[in-house]
Amino acid sequence: MWRATFKGLLAHKVRLGLTALAIVLGVGFVSGTYILTDTMNKAFQNLFSTIDKGIAVQVKGVSKFKGGFGGDVGQPQRVPGSLVAQIAQVPGVRVAEGELTGYAQLVTPAGKAIETHGAPTLGVTAQSDKQLAGVATVAGREPTSSGEISIDAATAKKFGFHVGQPVTVLVQGPSVHARIVGIFGFGNGSTNLAGATVVAFDPTTAQRVLGGHGSWDTIDVAAKQGVSPSDLRDRIQRILPRGFQAKTGEQAAQENADQLRRGLSFFNIALLVFAGVALFVGTFIIFNTFSILVAQRTRELGLLRALGASAAQVRTSVIAEAAVTGVIASVLGLAFGLVIALGLQGLLRVFGIVLPSTSSQVLPRTVIVALIVGIVTTLVSAVLPSVRASRVPPIAAMRDTGPAEYTRSRRRTGIGLAVTVVGVAALLLGLFGGHGAALVGIGAGVVFLGVAILSPLFARPIARALGALFEPLDRVLSAIGNLFRRVLGRAERYSGVSARLGTENARRNPGRTASTAGALMIGLGLVGFVSIFAASVKASANEALAQILKADYAVIPTSFSGPNVGFSMDVGRRLQATGDFSAVSPFRQTIFGVHGNAQQLTAIDPTTVTAVENIQMTGGSVRALGDGDLLVYKETARSNGWRVGSVVPVQFAATGVQRLRVVGIFGDNRALGSYAVSLSTFDRNVVGPLDASVLVKVRPGVSLQRAQRAARSVTNQFPNVKLQDQAQLRETQAKQIDQLLGLITALLGLAILIALFGIVNTLALSIFERTHEIGLLRAVGMARRQVRVMIRWESVIIAVFGAILGTAVGAFFGWTMVRALHSQGITVLAFPGKQLLLYVVLAGLAGVIAALLPARRAARLDVLAAITHE
Amino acid sequence: MAQAPTKEDVTQDVRVAAKAVDAVKVYGSGDAAVRALDGISVEFETRRFHAVMGPSGSGKSTLLHCLAGLDSLTSGHVYIGDVDLTTLSERKLTLLRREKVGFVFQAYNLVPTLSAIENITLPLDIAGRKPEASWLDTVVSTVGLRDRLRHRPSELSGGQQQRVAAARALASRPEIVFADEPTGNLDSRSGAELLGFMREAVRHFGQTIVMVTHDPTAAGYADRVVFLNDGRAVDEMAEPTAERVLDRMKSLAGD
Repeated sequence: MWRATFKGLLAHKVRLGLTALAIVLGVGFVSGTYILTDTMNKAFQNLFSTIDKGIAVQVKGVSKFKGGFGGDVGQPQRVPGSLVAQIAQVPGVRVAEGELTGYAQLVTPAGKAIETHGAPTLGVTAQSDKQLAGVATVAGREPTSSGEISIDAATAKKFGFHVGQPVTVLVQGPSVHARIVGIFGFGNGSTNLAGATVVAFDPTTAQRVLGGHGSWDTIDVAAKQGVSPSDLRDRIQRILPRGFQAKTGEQAAQENADQLRRGLSFFNIALLVFAGVALFVGTFIIFNTFSILVAQRTRELGLLRALGASAAQVRTSVIAEAAVTGVIASVLGLAFGLVIALGLQGLLRVFGIVLPSTSSQVLPRTVIVALIVGIVTTLVSAVLPSVRASRVPPIAAMRDTGPAEYTRSRRRTGIGLAVTVVGVAALLLGLFGGHGAALVGIGAGVVFLGVAILSPLFARPIARALGALFEPLDRVLSAIGNLFRRVLGRAERYSGVSARLGTENARRNPGRTASTAGALMIGLGLVGFVSIFAASVKASANEALAQILKADYAVIPTSFSGPNVGFSMDVGRRLQATGDFSAVSPFRQTIFGVHGNAQQLTAIDPTTVTAVENIQMTGGSVRALGDGDLLVYKETARSNGWRVGSVVPVQFAATGVQRLRVVGIFGDNRALGSYAVSLSTFDRNVVGPLDASVLVKVRPGVSLQRAQRAARSVTNQFPNVKLQDQAQLRETQAKQIDQLLGLITALLGLAILIALFGIVNTLALSIFERTHEIGLLRAVGMARRQVRVMIRWESVIIAVFGAILGTAVGAFFGWTMVRALHSQGITVLAFPGKQLLLYVVLAGLAGVIAALLPARRAARLDVLAAITHE
Repeated sequence: MAQAPTKEDVTQDVRVAAKAVDAVKVYGSGDAAVRALDGISVEFETRRFHAVMGPSGSGKSTLLHCLAGLDSLTSGHVYIGDVDLTTLSERKLTLLRREKVGFVFQAYNLVPTLSAIENITLPLDIAGRKPEASWLDTVVSTVGLRDRLRHRPSELSGGQQQRVAAARALASRPEIVFADEPTGNLDSRSGAELLGFMREAVRHFGQTIVMVTHDPTAAGYADRVVFLNDGRAVDEMAEPTAERVLDRMKSLAGD
C-alpha cells in the first residue's frame, strides 16, 4: 500500500510540483513575514543597545495614558530642566545631560522637504558627553551653536548632504537656517532608524527649536567608574518628584526596542493576513487537485480494493500522499520565505527604510509555524478527496467509467446555504455587533467557503451565458484571422468552433470548474471589496467636503504619512499677518484616552472655525468652547449618555486625567471626528503641538489672485506644506486613497497568482484526462491552433466565472462594510462599475495566460498515441 | 478537391483513392527495431469497400495510420488521391485530414460534450463549412438515428455511437474513409447494422472505405480484402465471403 502511494507520487512529479506550488507560496509568505520582522526586531534591539550603551540611567516622565496595545500613545510629560543639576549631585553620577526629541524636517537644496514615507523626521539634542551621545561622528564635528547642525549618515547619503552645506530645517516654529558641521552614524554608520531622518542641534538651540520651554524629554546619566547602573537608578529615583521615573540604560534600550516592535507588529499582522489569504486560496487548489486525481484513478483504486485493500487503507494512502506533498512544500516554502524576507527588505529599502545589518533571523518558532501551517493546510484540503477515494467500489476496476457525471445534490445545496448563512451572520456580528476584526475576517472566509460550495449550481448556467457571449467573439476573431491568411495567401481557414467546445469543456464538470474558479473568486472578491470600499470612502469624503468646507484655501502637509504629521504653527501666524484673510483657522490632532480607549482628538479655534466650516450643532454652540471644554459628536454623546453640561474625564499622555465639560454636540462632520477641544486646551496638554491643517477664508474685497499670491509667499517658505483650493483638496484625498488601494491590491496579487496556478493545474489534469478526445479532434481535422484556442476559452470561462462570483461577494462585503461604518463618516455607497468590469476583463486575460502551457501541451499531443492509447 | 461522385458515374472511371508505394515503417532502432511495414505497395480504388486483414503485428493498423496521415513513414510514399503525404507539413496534413479523410475508430469516437448531430457535423464545423442540408439528411436517415440526434454520446448504445461516428465520417463527403476495427467493441447485431450501412455508403453514394479488421465476418461485407503479413501485402481477394476469408486467414496463420 505504501509502496503504491510513493510510486504514485514519484510517477507524477510535475503534478506534485504544481500542487505544492500553492503551498510553497503561502508558507513562503508566512515564514518570510516572520523572518523579516524577527530580523528587524533583532536589528533594532542591537541598534538601541549600541545607542544607549553609554547611558547608565535615564530619567523620563511616566506616560499618563497607555493606549489599547499597552504602548505609549502620545508623548509623556517632559522633565523639568532644573532636575539636571539635582541629578548631577547624586553620588556616583559622572555626568547628567538633558535630551530633547522633536520635529525637524530637512529641506533639500532644490527646496523640497525630504520625504520619508511614514518614518518620523526627528530633531534631537547633540549631547556634549561622547559616552552619552551614543553615536559615532563619521565626518566633521558636533554642532555647538545655533547656526550649526549635524545629521545622520544614512540621510546624508540618501539625499546627498555633505559637511559645510547650508540647509533649511523645518521645525515647530520659524524655520532654522544652519550649516551642516557633522555627520554621525548609528551602529555601523549606514543604518537609519527605520527610515527616520535625524537632525542634531546643540542643547541650547534644541531647547528653542524643538519647543522644550526649559524641559527635556529625558535626562541621560553616565555613571562613575565602578557604580552599578541599578544602584544608581535607585539612588536617583529617590530624589525624583512624582510622575518621573529612572531606568537603567539597558531597560531604556529594551523599552525603545519594544516600542518599535509594537509599531512593527501592525506591519507583521498585515502581512500575515495576506499570507493567510494566499493559503486559503491554496487549500482550494489542493482540494481540487486531489479530487481530480482521485476521479482519474477510479479504476486503479477499484483494483486496489478488488485486491483486498480496505477503504481505510485507500483513504490513508490519499492522506499519506497529501502529507508527503505538505512536508515537501512546507520545507520549500520555508526556504522560499528567506527569499521573500530579503525581497521585502529590498522593498523597504526602496521606501527609504534601511535595516541595520544583521543576519536573517530564522527562529524555531518560524520553522514550527511554517511546517504546521503548510502540512495542516494540505491535509485539511485532502480530507474530502480521501473520503471520496475510499468510497470507490471494487467493481470500478472492471468498469470503464469515466469521471462521474455531476448530479445536483440537495445535500450540497443545503450545506452550502447553511455555511453561507453562518458566514454572513459572523460577518454582520463582527461589523455591527462590535465584536472585532477577527470575527469579520473569519465571517468573510466562511462566506467564501459557502459560496464555493454553492457555486457548482451556477457553473453551468454562467458558463453557458459566457459561452453565448464568447462564441460570436471567437467567430469574429477567427474571421479576422482568416482575412489575414487570405491576404498572406495561405490556403487554410479556421472556424470559430473552439469557443463552443471550450464552453462545453468548462460546463462538463461543474464541481471542478467551480472549485478552480473558487480560488480566483477569493482574490477578486477581496480586490472588488477594497475597490468598492475605497470608492465609497472617496465619495463620502467628497460629499463631506462639499457640505462642510466653506474655506477658500487649505494649507496641508505635502506628505500625509508619519507619526508627527503636521507643520510649524508659524504658517498660520504668518498667513494671519498678511491681512488678506478674514479667517485663518488651524486644526491640530492627537490621540487621547476616553474610558481608557485611544481616540482621535481635534483641536479647533472656536472664533474662526465657523467661518471656514459648516458645523451643524444639535446642542450647545461652538462659540462656547473655552479652555477645559469639549465638543462631542452626537452619536458619541448618545452612546455615552452625555449632554451639554456633562463633565467627561479624559486622559492625555503628558498631563494625565483632565475633566472636560461638554459645551456642544455636533452632527456628521468628518473634519472634526468625534471629539474637539480648543487650541489652548490642546497646547496645554500635548507635548510639541503642530498644525495638521490651516483653513483660510479670503477677506471680502480681496481678489482671489491676490490672496493666493499672499498665501503662496508664506507657504513657499515651508516646503513641507502646500496650498490647495477645494478641487485640489478633493484630488489629494482621492490620491491618498488610491495609493492605499494600489498597495492592498498588489498584496492581494499573490492570492490571484496562486489562483492562476490553480487554473493551470486543473487544465493540465483535465487535458490529461481528455487525451483520447483531443486526439480524436485532431484526427478529424482540428488544427493545433484550434486546440490551443479551445483550451484558452475554457480557461477564460473558468477565470471569468471566478471573477463574477468574486465581484458579487466583494460587492456584498463592500455594501455591509460601508453600512457598518456609516457613523464613521462613510455615508455614500459607491460602486466603481468600470473598475470592477475592468477586473473581470483582466481576470479573463489572466485566464488566457494560465492556459498558455496547458494549451501548448494539448496541441502538441501525439495524435496517434492519443487515439490508440488504451 | 475531387467532385463528390454521383450515382450515375459510380461504375465508370475507376481511380486510385489511396496508395502506398514501397512503404517502410520501422519502430525503435538497433536490435529492438521492428519493421511494422516492410516495403509494402498497395492501392485502394475509389468507390469500393476495402478490408485490410492480417494477424496481430502484421502491420495493418500501421498501414491505416500512415495512409490517413496520422503517422509518418520511415521511407517510401503514401498518397491520398495524387497528393504525396510524405511531403506535407503537420499543418497541411491537418488540413488534408479535415478535407479529404473521414475516420471511424474502434472506441472514443465521439466528443462527449456534443450531441449526436453536433458530433456528425464536427469536422465541418472545424473547417468552418456549412453542412449540405440534403446530404446531411440522407446520411442521418441512412444511419437511422433521426430521433436520437439531440442525445449526448453517453445516452446512446455502443452501436448507435459507432453509427454516429460513421455518419460523421461521411458528412463532409471525404475522398476516403478509414475505419479501424469499427465493430471491435460491438455485439454481432450492432456490428452487422454498422457494416451494412458502410456497404450502402459505397454502393449508393460512391464512397471509398478502407477498413482494418480481424473479423472475417466484417471482411465479408467488403468488395475486396487485402491480406497483410509481416508488413507486406501477401494476398488479396475480390468479392470475399466470410468463409473464404476465414480459410485464407487460417492458412496465413499457418505459414
